[in-house]
Amino acid sequence: MRALLANLLLFGAAMVAAPYLGPLWHALFPEVSRPVWDSPGWFSLLGEHLMLSLGATLIAAILGLGAAILATRPAGRALRPLLDAVFSLAQAVPPVAAIALSLPLLGFGAAPTLLALVLYAALPVMRSAVGGLDAVPAPVLDAARGTGMGSARILAQVELPLALPVIQAGLRVALVLAIATTAVGAVAGARCLGTPIVTGLANGNPSWVLQGAIFTAWLALIADQALRLGLGRHSG
Amino acid sequence: MPSQPAALAARLPLTGTAPPPREAMAVATLSVLAVLAPLVLGVLSLAPNRLLSPRAAAMPQTAGVIICLGLFLGFCLGTALLARRAAWLGWAELAAALALCALLAGIGVAAGEVLRDASPAARATPAAGFWMAMLLLALAAGCCAAGRGGTPRNFMVAVVLGFGLLWAAGLLGNLSVAREASARGAEIRAAAIQHLGLSGSALLLALAVSLPLSLLALRHRKLEAALMGVANGFQVVPSIALFGLLMGPLGALVSWAPGLRDWGVGGIGPAPAVLGIAVYLLLPLCSAFLAGLRVVPPALIDAARGQGLTEAGILRRLRIPLGLGVMLGGLRVAAVQAIGLATLAALIGGGGLGTLVFQGIGQLATDLILLGVLPMVALSLLADGGCAALQAALERGP
Amino acid sequence: MIRFEGVSRRYGEQAAVDRVTLEVPRGSICVLLGESGSGKSTLMRMVNRLVEPSAGRVLVDGRDVAGADPEELRRGIGYVIQSVGLFPHWRVADNIATVPRLLGWEPARIAARVETLLELVGLEATLFRDRFPHELSGGQAQRVGLARALAADPPLLLMDEPFSALDPGTRRGLQVALREIHAETGKTILFVTHDVEEALALADRLAVLDQGQLVAQGRPAALLEGAAQGPVRRIFGEESLAFHRLATLPARSLARVGDADGLPMLPADATLKQALMLMLSENSARLALPAEAGFGGGTLHWTDLVTAR
Repeated sequence: MRALLANLLLFGAAMVAAPYLGPLWHALFPEVSRPVWDSPGWFSLLGEHLMLSLGATLIAAILGLGAAILATRPAGRALRPLLDAVFSLAQAVPPVAAIALSLPLLGFGAAPTLLALVLYAALPVMRSAVGGLDAVPAPVLDAARGTGMGSARILAQVELPLALPVIQAGLRVALVLAIATTAVGAVAGARCLGTPIVTGLANGNPSWVLQGAIFTAWLALIADQALRLGLGRHSG
Repeated sequence: MPSQPAALAARLPLTGTAPPPREAMAVATLSVLAVLAPLVLGVLSLAPNRLLSPRAAAMPQTAGVIICLGLFLGFCLGTALLARRAAWLGWAELAAALALCALLAGIGVAAGEVLRDASPAARATPAAGFWMAMLLLALAAGCCAAGRGGTPRNFMVAVVLGFGLLWAAGLLGNLSVAREASARGAEIRAAAIQHLGLSGSALLLALAVSLPLSLLALRHRKLEAALMGVANGFQVVPSIALFGLLMGPLGALVSWAPGLRDWGVGGIGPAPAVLGIAVYLLLPLCSAFLAGLRVVPPALIDAARGQGLTEAGILRRLRIPLGLGVMLGGLRVAAVQAIGLATLAALIGGGGLGTLVFQGIGQLATDLILLGVLPMVALSLLADGGCAALQAALERGP
Repeated sequence: MIRFEGVSRRYGEQAAVDRVTLEVPRGSICVLLGESGSGKSTLMRMVNRLVEPSAGRVLVDGRDVAGADPEELRRGIGYVIQSVGLFPHWRVADNIATVPRLLGWEPARIAARVETLLELVGLEATLFRDRFPHELSGGQAQRVGLARALAADPPLLLMDEPFSALDPGTRRGLQVALREIHAETGKTILFVTHDVEEALALADRLAVLDQGQLVAQGRPAALLEGAAQGPVRRIFGEESLAFHRLATLPARSLARVGDADGLPMLPADATLKQALMLMLSENSARLALPAEAGFGGGTLHWTDLVTAR
């Protein structure tokens, strides 16, 4: 917990300091004329990045969990092969390709990124939730039915709590994936921490690339750290 | 002894008592949706020229178009019906592929008709309904394959063959993607080869690092923890950020030792791309190698030791042959990932099919994006299918 | 209490339960005995509607269960299974409180009930209340499972091979505990097992199932008397049939009036099997039986034992 807070503080401080570190960027990249990234500001980029990835993860979590619950009910068994097929198809198409393909339909901006984000983040949640729900021991379910619990109650009080650790692991994967995919979304015009990277690459400004890359990677590591913490507390 | 008609009925396939496989419902729904998608969303659109955005176009009602669409309808229906029996799932996959080819042929022929009375600059492209139908049919084939417990190779082979035939017959030449493709044929081939080069060298590099490290980690717990920690840590870093982070140090390295530039090393270009891709392959490779090497139960290893086998002998005679399947599984995941990751290499000047994709994004040109994405998807399906076939061959064993 | 009327359950071509008619009297322990796949569990699971019959009907207290709401029905019937099925994420007290909570009891009443039940099944409440299932031994977990089934004081208990996975010592301990609880509470118990000795140790009434069909039923002694043939003979084991028969008869049934001085003493309610074991272990051809209400005491002779029919 303390390590996470320290990391967060350091991250914030670095974001505040980055625009004032002109001499440092000058020293690192002497050939670049404007090495300091100044607009839009880091915090506004961070805000949009988080809004996109957290929002998408939330939608994806609801979709993925819903699909998993449906697929593990007796009535939803027919859904199982479809989910498997979607999963294996999605593995052959990387997120950047999905963003590119939806670009002509949805136009520049956050929309294609959001679509790809939701699609790709929902898959790990669904996978893990199906796995977790499948792993609930049959005798426990038998006993729950035998004691007269209704199916909604069994789901809420027995199945979901028992599957929770696995579902959480899936959520972690989903969020890390969402943060990475959001960064790629800069290519399609989504404003986020990936924007300095893409702009820097397009304008031959490695200083901007480095700054954007540092903050993007840092954010992903913080998110992972935070989710690990949440996980550890639950299983401990 | 059962009466004659009863015995006969039991032998007739359609009245048999075997329930339809659990995929039947999903496949039927997907096939019906595949029929509906073109009706609702349209299959063909027409743009006055390369730059203006396309508008939906009515399908011309010529015999060729009607035959093709009829075949599409029939094969969709066939897919749904064939999937009702587990033994016919392979044929259902084939029917889905044929439906797809029929639709493709339909819009190819229709494009020719529509463009005949249009200006030479006009372009015909498949509309959303076509892409949707394609996606749905691919998913239906995937469901069938899941029912047979494998990859949809019937579907893929049939689609590739059908596509090749239609292309050779010149039926597709009027579609704007095809025009773009024939205009840029050499460019696409070069990009695809570059793409394979990038992902292949990254895979080799990752193999060269992870194989010896996994073997060492098998015996040293601390090394294993460190290795998996590093591999997991890299997985968290977004690839686009990692490429960015690699640019600086490699650039500095080259300015310090300019001779390296001749070797292709630099902040921009294939070197950081290969390095960046390889880093992400460490996790699937190392975890599969370690899991594969541990497939043999400790009791068996003990017994082998008791019979006087050396560590090297145990490795060669037990661990590697028995764990090969698991290890190949890791290789399969890594290969597919490498091909996907190589797309981003274009951003840092690494070349590959990503170049076409990002060019297409820049010009908002759907055809260019497709010419980048389609070969890339084909490559990754090919890699996946190849590894799967290898795995299957291995499981059947000598 | 329970009546099965021509009950069948088919899975495709296969009949798991085939036209079974059986009556379980109130307050008795009825054991369903059979090999695995004989349909005994399926038959039992039709009582609380975990399985629906394909034909026939099941009556509990004269009412067809098909007309009852399944969840309400199950809350009124205790249910214990082999792998215990304790909810791994709930503490012992919460597990026992499952049905009372479903029935909306007050917390104070539930807490008191949990204490009583833990004591009834022989577990120290203060020690076990707050444990998680993974902190229990197999026998302890099964005692908790029994307590959970008894929680809402249901008149009827269904037990599906509850002790099968336990080691022999623990199993005998639990069998004794179950008989005691039965004597104390007077519940009707339907008990499924494949273990002949367990069946004979517990049963007031025995029903033997083979390939879905009821092949024999009645009091254990009557069932084993001479008539044992076909599947019953096989299930009880040809060579140990005589031995099992001894387990169904009380020792006093062969008692003679005589001088019991200095002879090894049997417990009053011992069976002939226990008498035989004592003779073998004490190297004595005669045993003493204590006097009890309606029985004047006496001796048991080896010769009577081996010629008994």
